[in-house]
Amino acid sequence: MIKYDKFTLENGLTVLFHKDITTPMAVVNTLYDVGARDESEDQTGFAHLFEHLMFGGSVNVPEFDTPLQLAGGENNAFTSNDVTNYYDVLPANNIETALWLESDRMLSLAFTDKSLEVQRSVVIEEFKQRYLNQPYGDVWLELRPLAYTTHPYKWATIGKEIKHIEDATMNDVKAFFKKFYTPSNAILCIAGNLELEDVKSLVTKWYGDLPKLEKPLRNLPKEPEQNEFREKTIERDVPANAFYYAFKMVDRKHADYFVYDTLSDALGRDKSARLYTTLKKELNLVSNISAYVTGSLDEGLLVISGKLNDGVSFEDFDQALWNELEKVQKEQIHPLELEKIMNKIRTAKEFGDQGILNRAMNLCSYELLGDASLINKESEMYHQIRPEDILRVAKVTLNKTNCSLLKIKSTNAK
Amino acid sequence: MLNRTFQPELKAIDHIDFIAPVKYALNEEVSLFHMKDVADETCRFDLYFDAGKCRGLKGVPNFVNGLLLSGTDQKSSIQIQEEINGKGGFYESGVSVENAVISVYCLRENLWTIVGTIADAIKNTAFIEKEVNEFLNDSRQKLKINLEKMSYLAQTEFQQRLFASHERYSNVLKLEYFDNITIDQLKEFHAKYYLNGLSKIVVVGNVEDELVSNIKTMFQPLALKSPLTFEKGLKNLPGEHIVDKENAIQTAIRLGRILFNKKHPDYIDFLVLNTILGDYFGSRLMANIREDKGYTYGIGSMVAEIDDTGYFLIATEVRKDVREDTLNEIRFEINRLQNELVSTTELELVQNYMLGQLLKSADGAYAMTDLFLSAEIHGKGLGFYNEAILAIRAITPERIQELAKKYLKWEDMTIVGVG
Repeated sequence: MIKYDKFTLENGLTVLFHKDITTPMAVVNTLYDVGARDESEDQTGFAHLFEHLMFGGSVNVPEFDTPLQLAGGENNAFTSNDVTNYYDVLPANNIETALWLESDRMLSLAFTDKSLEVQRSVVIEEFKQRYLNQPYGDVWLELRPLAYTTHPYKWATIGKEIKHIEDATMNDVKAFFKKFYTPSNAILCIAGNLELEDVKSLVTKWYGDLPKLEKPLRNLPKEPEQNEFREKTIERDVPANAFYYAFKMVDRKHADYFVYDTLSDALGRDKSARLYTTLKKELNLVSNISAYVTGSLDEGLLVISGKLNDGVSFEDFDQALWNELEKVQKEQIHPLELEKIMNKIRTAKEFGDQGILNRAMNLCSYELLGDASLINKESEMYHQIRPEDILRVAKVTLNKTNCSLLKIKSTNAK
Repeated sequence: MLNRTFQPELKAIDHIDFIAPVKYALNEEVSLFHMKDVADETCRFDLYFDAGKCRGLKGVPNFVNGLLLSGTDQKSSIQIQEEINGKGGFYESGVSVENAVISVYCLRENLWTIVGTIADAIKNTAFIEKEVNEFLNDSRQKLKINLEKMSYLAQTEFQQRLFASHERYSNVLKLEYFDNITIDQLKEFHAKYYLNGLSKIVVVGNVEDELVSNIKTMFQPLALKSPLTFEKGLKNLPGEHIVDKENAIQTAIRLGRILFNKKHPDYIDFLVLNTILGDYFGSRLMANIREDKGYTYGIGSMVAEIDDTGYFLIATEVRKDVREDTLNEIRFEINRLQNELVSTTELELVQNYMLGQLLKSADGAYAMTDLFLSAEIHGKGLGFYNEAILAIRAITPERIQELAKKYLKWEDMTIVGVG
């Protein structure tokens, strides 16, 4: 049970506080309700580029990192298709430095040309390092537009192409900030060995005078129902043929989300999952295979991916895979199999909630879903899943007409 | 009106609580360390073996480590996996130059069952031909993929030059090894370095002392009977080695030298120098090569340790056309540390940062255990970290300059660029 307190400032900032008396450190986590899905199609990669600019100095503080390091702290951030999340970890007795820095960059950035130019180059190198200069690195750049025709999930967080990052202007940057980086569009979580009253007064001191601005309305194009099998093959200079079967699934708030997650675990979480034991250990068709859900806030994907053994054709594998998927649509999984999957989920949850940084981030994520208290209800949601739920979800999901298949054909595989 | 231009008052870190795990001896050489102070249901279980890469050639140490759960005469690999995963366990294994480690993460209620499965799998590994062949095929494919990565190529090129003086340290995995391996070689290595090579057990988790004692008994037969010994006098091969890759769009750079470990009197002071140069976000290398020039997504330096010594390393991936310029800038930053005193402002920042990070490294049972182990392996107790706090506070700009002159000579460096 993770306890927390919640309060809201007049400017709309939601604040969560999680007390932990066992640690000398404190965490200030800020989640902004903006991600790559909020970009326009001709300016992709912008939410992430912007995340970099948040470290380029704010209106009253020329450098973000230096004062935090001086306080013995460190920080980082990440951007996804859904959110942008910033965190600071520092000795608890210096927490005010983090609140000073975070509140100032919520107020306004310095917007220097130098920062934009440098971070543009840094992000382009990140694009190359993670997506282009790696074998199979561009898979998601290809898979997303195959699986999504309309919803902005059709581009990756890093962006569709380098050119969009090259073309970003200072005016774009300022407009983006003004629209999305407001108190009402943020969730702040503070964790550590602190008192609620002190947290309230510090937060009010540093964030209280930030202006109240409207929370931006989100009106994203809805992905139409998929009624066709989609397939794309790309050739790459990689050592082995690889496959990515992406099935449309529900959004994160849907009651069936946890059922999908469990289904993907049954298929391919580990070396005792169905696809591994049959397609690899029995039939020896693949070198590895796994299944997982993307976990996105809007309608997500259940993905089955892996690499073929030398000498195995895509066709042979394809047939064996669909045979296996048919089984999980015809027969309920045994309660014992389900129990084993739940054991693994419990372990992962217990480790995932360990430490104040994880807890602060998770609390913010759940608050964004609608209610931070969901963090304590998740285990019960999994616990309620029955074999018939998995069967029902498998039936409507694991079909060809709901599937997008990306094949990476090796130009040098046997 | 709130003044936002001044940093709130800072408070110094006055002390750090370091907590040691309880030690149980298996014999004179081998111990089990138990850290009980965990507030939740999680636990971790590690087995260390004297089965590192330096104990064998031609990939044998890697292969045996990867095959530990591949089945016994009684149980298939699928059954073993089923027993571990079914109880919610996560298994990891890995080989470094001087040891091999397997780890399990699970809930404490399942620890005993999972440990039993692991003990049986490791004690009775049968090296079944079908399993061995499958494993070799998978590993070969993984290696082929790694051989396409500039960072992997640079790292292995670097390792070969860093440990050039000792073949068993410089040796890296090659594709030809996969075709020449025999099951007898695997069995022989397993018998020697696993069945008689257990060097340490670690349990982190709020479990009963009796359970810990049972774990100790269970693994007692595998414990090493003589002290661990490793090679001494490792030397790197200085000089620049650039491999041009036509299709690469970035160059991976690795640059460093053999240095020392915690046993050396200059170790802690050198860590301060290392931090200033490249071991935090505001470091000289990051400020210059990323934040000023935008050549890279990241650049960092580190000190790694092995038994007798350690090494210093700078690593980055940069735009291909600025490869030379990046090396020049790294050299420029090293020269600057040798020729100019670090300002007290910068030094104070790094001192505070390092103490904050040390506080974080001691936060929680898992982090504290790792911090303890990293001193214990070099024969140091937790007192080492109290000395570190004093040394970090006391260091002077002159001392940093002296160390930069002594240990960061460009001509001593092994420099590798691939891409």
